[in-house]
Amino acid sequence: GLFRDFHDLGVNTRQTIEHVQESKTGSSGSMIKLTANYFRLTSRPQWALYQYHVAYNPEMEARRLRSALLFQHEELLGKTHAFDGAILFLPKKLVNKVTQLFSRTRNGEDVKITITLTNELPPTSPTCLQFYNIIFRRLLKMLNLQQIGRNYYNPSDPITIPHHRLTIWPGFTSSILQYEESIMLCTDVSHKVLRSETVLDFMYNLYHQVDEQRYKDTCAKELIGLIVLTKYNNRTYRVDGIDWDASPQCTFRRADGSEISYVDYYKRQYNQEITDLNQPVLISESKRKRGTIMPGPVVLIPELCFLTGLTERMRNDFNMMKDLSSHTRLPPEQRQHEIGRLIDYIQKDDGVQKELRDWGLSFDSNLFSFTGRVAQAEKILQSGSVVEYNPQFADWTKEIRGAPLICAKPLDNWLLIYPRRNHDTAGVLLQSLSKVTPPMGIRMNRATMIEVDDKTEAYIRVLQQAVTPDTNIVFCVLSSSRKDKYDAIKKYLCTDCPVPSQCVISRTLSKPQTALAIATKIALQMNSKMGGELWSVEIPLKQVMIVGIDCYHDTLFGKQSIAGFVASLNQTMTRWFSRCAVQGRGQELVDGLKACLQSALREWFKWNKCLPSRIIVYRDGVGDGQLHTLVNYEVPQFLDCLKSVGKDYVPRLTVIVVKKRVNTRLFAQAGGTLRNPPPGTIVDGGITRPEWYDFFIVSQAVRNGCVAPTHYNVIYDTSKLKPDHVQRLTYKLCHMYYNWSGIIRVPAPCQYAHKLAFLVGQSIHREPSLLLSDKLYYL
Amino acid sequence: MDKEFQEEQFTGIIKFTPPLYKQRYQFVKDLVEKHKPKKVADLGCADCTLLWMLKCCNCIEVLVGLDVCATVMKENMHRLSPLPGDYLQPAERSLTVTLHHGSVAHKDPCMLGFDLVTCIELIEHLEESELKKFPEVVFGFMAPSIVVITTPNSEFNPLLPGVILSRHPDHKFEWNRAQFESWALETARSYDYSVEFTGVGHPPTGKENVGFCTQIAVFVRKCPQTIESVQSEKPTEAVYQTVFQAVYPSLKDEKYLQNAVVDEVIFTAQIIKQSLLDHVMSEPEEYSDDLTERELEFQPSADCFSEDLETLVVENSMEPFVDGNVVYIPLTTIFSFPRVNQLCGTFEKFCELIADKVTLSSDGSAVMLSTEYE
Repeated sequence: GLFRDFHDLGVNTRQTIEHVQESKTGSSGSMIKLTANYFRLTSRPQWALYQYHVAYNPEMEARRLRSALLFQHEELLGKTHAFDGAILFLPKKLVNKVTQLFSRTRNGEDVKITITLTNELPPTSPTCLQFYNIIFRRLLKMLNLQQIGRNYYNPSDPITIPHHRLTIWPGFTSSILQYEESIMLCTDVSHKVLRSETVLDFMYNLYHQVDEQRYKDTCAKELIGLIVLTKYNNRTYRVDGIDWDASPQCTFRRADGSEISYVDYYKRQYNQEITDLNQPVLISESKRKRGTIMPGPVVLIPELCFLTGLTERMRNDFNMMKDLSSHTRLPPEQRQHEIGRLIDYIQKDDGVQKELRDWGLSFDSNLFSFTGRVAQAEKILQSGSVVEYNPQFADWTKEIRGAPLICAKPLDNWLLIYPRRNHDTAGVLLQSLSKVTPPMGIRMNRATMIEVDDKTEAYIRVLQQAVTPDTNIVFCVLSSSRKDKYDAIKKYLCTDCPVPSQCVISRTLSKPQTALAIATKIALQMNSKMGGELWSVEIPLKQVMIVGIDCYHDTLFGKQSIAGFVASLNQTMTRWFSRCAVQGRGQELVDGLKACLQSALREWFKWNKCLPSRIIVYRDGVGDGQLHTLVNYEVPQFLDCLKSVGKDYVPRLTVIVVKKRVNTRLFAQAGGTLRNPPPGTIVDGGITRPEWYDFFIVSQAVRNGCVAPTHYNVIYDTSKLKPDHVQRLTYKLCHMYYNWSGIIRVPAPCQYAHKLAFLVGQSIHREPSLLLSDKLYYL
Repeated sequence: MDKEFQEEQFTGIIKFTPPLYKQRYQFVKDLVEKHKPKKVADLGCADCTLLWMLKCCNCIEVLVGLDVCATVMKENMHRLSPLPGDYLQPAERSLTVTLHHGSVAHKDPCMLGFDLVTCIELIEHLEESELKKFPEVVFGFMAPSIVVITTPNSEFNPLLPGVILSRHPDHKFEWNRAQFESWALETARSYDYSVEFTGVGHPPTGKENVGFCTQIAVFVRKCPQTIESVQSEKPTEAVYQTVFQAVYPSLKDEKYLQNAVVDEVIFTAQIIKQSLLDHVMSEPEEYSDDLTERELEFQPSADCFSEDLETLVVENSMEPFVDGNVVYIPLTTIFSFPRVNQLCGTFEKFCELIADKVTLSSDGSAVMLSTEYE
């Protein structure tokens, strides 16, 4: 079940899209030779897998026991087999369709085992895929790799970062799936960040660092959402809560009905001594089903849990992240080498080779090679002129410096609020801004300068007094990245008193050598927030509304989810309408999205005096295994919503799922070496899935490490647009994000939606005022 | 005891709680806790459950399993691999777990020098010829300090439903108490062991006369043998095949010890540096007077800070200090931290372990940390 869900198998969306039945590939652009981190799986001719159902009488619960009983009959079944407790796979056919066997348990109980042939599977059948993955996991175990979560890691040669008690294990992600023409193993280098301290150690350290009254809150903030690894077995759990009233001395009821304390349980079961009897316990809402027992919350002892991954604080530690990325960000050549090591291990290990031989399987030793296309570079247009930039760098920051914007919003009436000690900084900023704004065409009056005490209340009081309906924008200089102050300002100016605002930390402004570059960036950002337009690309499609959706899941406060929703308002895609749907527990996100779409259409009508004839939705924030829900619930709701607009209104709808987190890596062959594929690289064959209308685009450029392609899956499409046009449009939209003068990983509406959802989820916690909805205030 | 039979009166079937096999394993585990053997072998280890339970016992450094069936061991051997946690916090003791494919009827030198050898439900599976060789191999050749043998008590069989001749088709025999005890006494006598009898699986009330469901004999060697004499007397060729071996990370291994010490030193130094810098920044003028008192605040866990260590810190002539962009933390200060102290034992060892791994001042007396990093 889990495997199937995780890979969204069985969701065949391509078959419902008529115009891509024959071909889903594009044609424009120049050819490029690529390799990807995939290895072909090969099997001997006439290979088949025999699937048997295994039943026990009397019924046996424990998997291990079921397995032990079955393999008392190894002479009959053979040495090569895979068994998950109910389904048995064999490479050979048993003589009879139904075989009855008798085994005896250690308690002397006789058990009848009935083995029934249920299927004879060709190599490409979906069940076979599941089987390949089971076998592959077995191989990784034979290679002495440690399974943590879904991936396998090598513990023998760790990288350590003692400053933060971090240990990094190199390892691999792997999955075997049916791709366009063949079954392949997709494997990528993965790094597991582990910590050589227990949750209890961490709690003690934190105790020495924060005030007593803030301790529990801080602890919760740092720990909730983290994944812990138990000492005594190899399970990972997500921390969902901390129970401060409980302790290891508390008791629980075991499966046999007896009461036992955690201390005694861990002592008896795992020989684990719990030394601190007063520690709280961690709660994990387990989603895993164990046997027939329904999942319930799992209680974990901090002393027996190791932390894994990074905390928010670590992520914000620039030096540490630099340290970390020097180990984990591998350039293409090196990454390919590391990936090749897995195949090397497999090729060199006798045990593994034997296992593969017994099953009649093998892996190609070379990475999968194929051709992709590189889309033509897009022209960046600024009020009449074309910006010349180097498409390889995917960036036009320098090129647009000092050039007039498409639409510049004046700074006639604006506030500059700063703490007393940043008086000079504020002055310098004003000077720099007055230098950089005229060439852009931004008219700027001197700001109303207001000094405040460096306190949240002081900022808010000033805002209450000084902001008027005529205020264009409020500029706040902050002394530090203290989140509460930022949150309070944003909350006030997004809901109570809707005015665009710009917050900048004083440190950012303090370096004289970068003052002008920073001022330019700020001016562009402020202009975008006030509804200005910076640049555009050619969009040949007419009467189209582009929608972007992304989600933010709050793990801390009230566990709500927020969907950011943005929709284009004009032909050039330079103006965007936005709303967000705040969804409480148990509510469906899709209800909120319907309302968003309705108001977007109304707004579009206001701007264009008609309704769009095409709607293209870019849907980001879809988790693994959620595709089914999207296809079956969200898309029908969109259609429903369109129907409700009017009887004659039948726009063409395209829904594209955008996925940034994919394990696919692409390498361009250049001379004898491998490089990152250039921006605009499109892949729509080979490593795509036959049951989907999907493609990959590498839109961004990276300075170090490997570029990650973005996966696009068109799950619904009545547009009749050629795949080539959908691909090109998608790539164009990656140029339109105004907070970055370059190409980004996803279409701009997705990134806007992300920004909005993040701001609301992190700082505002409710829907911002609709008076701001036609501006990019959330940048 | 009554609990064991809760269901009996309703179903007429004897069910042991916990199950009998678990009771047998628990018996061995209790024995291990009592005698603290370092080297333990399980003959006929099958699915390795007993070994899996025993690997948690901190006294054991060598754990060996032997079975005639390699497949069953291969199916289950990964249970005996170290867990990620074993790598993250290497244990004090060393531990090697090995599985051999072979028969108890054959001698292999890898089985010499053990403190405890267990044969749980093994002998009843042996063919007559194998059973004959068994005492010579286990007691004569291996000659461990303690041997535990368990086997079914056939007198109990009438109480087990469905058992007519024997409890398992592969059982070559099932002995009553008299048979087992005479065999055991004879064996003990021949090889100079003492033996005591016990069992697990109490009979139900009213049937006490049949004895335990599983009978157990614990043999203890009378005269202690030195390892040298064992090895010199019995040179034999290796006949067992090694199926699996796992060496657990341990602080006994220099590599892991060094990692643990370096981790601890850098982390500790980091904490000292931080609190030092906090003080320097908030109260620069007080900085020079008030060192010893501040020192105590650096201790990450003040509660386990014993008194003599406290004086040790106070007596240090040198204290952590900041000079320009560099924080100097004397090695003596770091060594006084309980965890570092405990890991290294001696100051010399401590210096040796961190020598090339941590940046030291020119005279080698202090750890240097840059303040730039923050």
